[in-house]
Amino acid sequence: MSEKNREGKRTARERMREDRAAQEARESRKKKMIVLGSVVAVLAVAAGVGVFVQNQRSKPDTPTASPAGAIGNKNLVIPDGPANAPSTLTVYEDPRCPACGQFERQFAPTVDQLQDQGKIYGNYHIVSFIDRHDGGKGSKNGANALACAQDAGYFRAYHDVLYRNQPDETVDSWKDKSQLITLAKQVPGLDSPTFESCVNSNKFGSWVSAVEQDFDKSGYTSTPTILLNGKPIYPKNGNDEITPDNLVKWVNEANAGKTLGTTGSASASPAPTSTAAETDPNQPAQPAPGATG
Amino acid sequence: MASQQDSPPSRAGEPPGSAAGARSALRRVTDGPAAEWISTAARLGLAVVWAWAGLAKVSDPAVAAQAVRAYRLLPEGLVKPVGYGLPFLEIALAVLLVVGLGVRIAAVVSVLLLLTFIAGISSAWARGISIDCGCFGGGGAVDASQTEYLQEILRDIGFLLLALWLVFRPRTKLSADAWLAA
Repeated sequence: MSEKNREGKRTARERMREDRAAQEARESRKKKMIVLGSVVAVLAVAAGVGVFVQNQRSKPDTPTASPAGAIGNKNLVIPDGPANAPSTLTVYEDPRCPACGQFERQFAPTVDQLQDQGKIYGNYHIVSFIDRHDGGKGSKNGANALACAQDAGYFRAYHDVLYRNQPDETVDSWKDKSQLITLAKQVPGLDSPTFESCVNSNKFGSWVSAVEQDFDKSGYTSTPTILLNGKPIYPKNGNDEITPDNLVKWVNEANAGKTLGTTGSASASPAPTSTAAETDPNQPAQPAPGATG
Repeated sequence: MASQQDSPPSRAGEPPGSAAGARSALRRVTDGPAAEWISTAARLGLAVVWAWAGLAKVSDPAVAAQAVRAYRLLPEGLVKPVGYGLPFLEIALAVLLVVGLGVRIAAVVSVLLLLTFIAGISSAWARGISIDCGCFGGGGAVDASQTEYLQEILRDIGFLLLALWLVFRPRTKLSADAWLAA
């Protein structure tokens, strides 16, 4: 009897202990689930907030202001030479990129000549990705200053001056905007209070950012990227190395049998309307230059 | 998820005395009180890694997006959400690890992220494209001579080991988890 009783008591005690243990396990599991839930929630909220905040902070890919005469989708491209030239030379350049400086110092006279002969229509994409790689502001400041020069009608001359005076890639001289203004004095007629305030106020900053974002999505990853009628020709066109002579040859081949563009407006960036006005009415339909890339 | 770590792992199935001396010494390191200090160091180390990685990517959203785009793995519609959200996720992981809240789940998420990164870098390497991993800011295309895929993968494997340790030994000193469990 007493044996049984003791046994009954023990089982009851054991049962209570088990119950308590089970309850503690449940509590601890609940606590764990709360922690797990909060952690997952914190991570999800953080990512969501990040997407929202960065969306607010990121510059739009449509510029709020574009330099006068810019062409293409969202006016991201600076044209040089006659719009009705039979071939289009598309150039992606970064003001700080040493290979671009090399290209410009070697090819600028040839390219300028081809444009002035009505053989090519220059399409310049002024990108600014070196600032990301090396840090700094020189690419963006330089690109903005080039947009300011385009706005004033002196893109080509200022562009050539910048590349002739390009600092070493790792030296971010152009983070100092006054250097860009000093260089503008080498282009007769460019430097003006309007130009200086344009450079200093980073007037085309949103345009510079939009051009870079367009380049980001272009699939081209380095500068200079040079396209002749949409086909990459730098550093090689097929098996042939690009040289000034080869460039002339390739352009002439591409233009064979086609009417050359309007010549005579040797200055950079002719206004689209004036170019159209000078167009020979007997000429076949203009090639659509469009924004490549 | 694996067995609870709040109680010492059960050794019921293990015949007594079978553990070799070296093995029991290893046990003391991985299960003894020293383990909690090792885990604490791993936790704080991983927190520093995530904080560094996240903060470096926050400043310029366009750069972060381009770093993602350069892998050429995600469709354009996902490039910005990932580029914008990932740095904040990394910073949130860092905060959780510093506080020591939900260390195991934070470690599991860390493992998954690191495996994704290693896969992404390997894929870029295998496809022969030349990019910077953008692990700690920067990113995007680089010259073929400047790629550092092996170093980047080895570094991530190092971080992966820290995270894996925490998945299996999430009990740490000076943590919110310990405070909650007390």
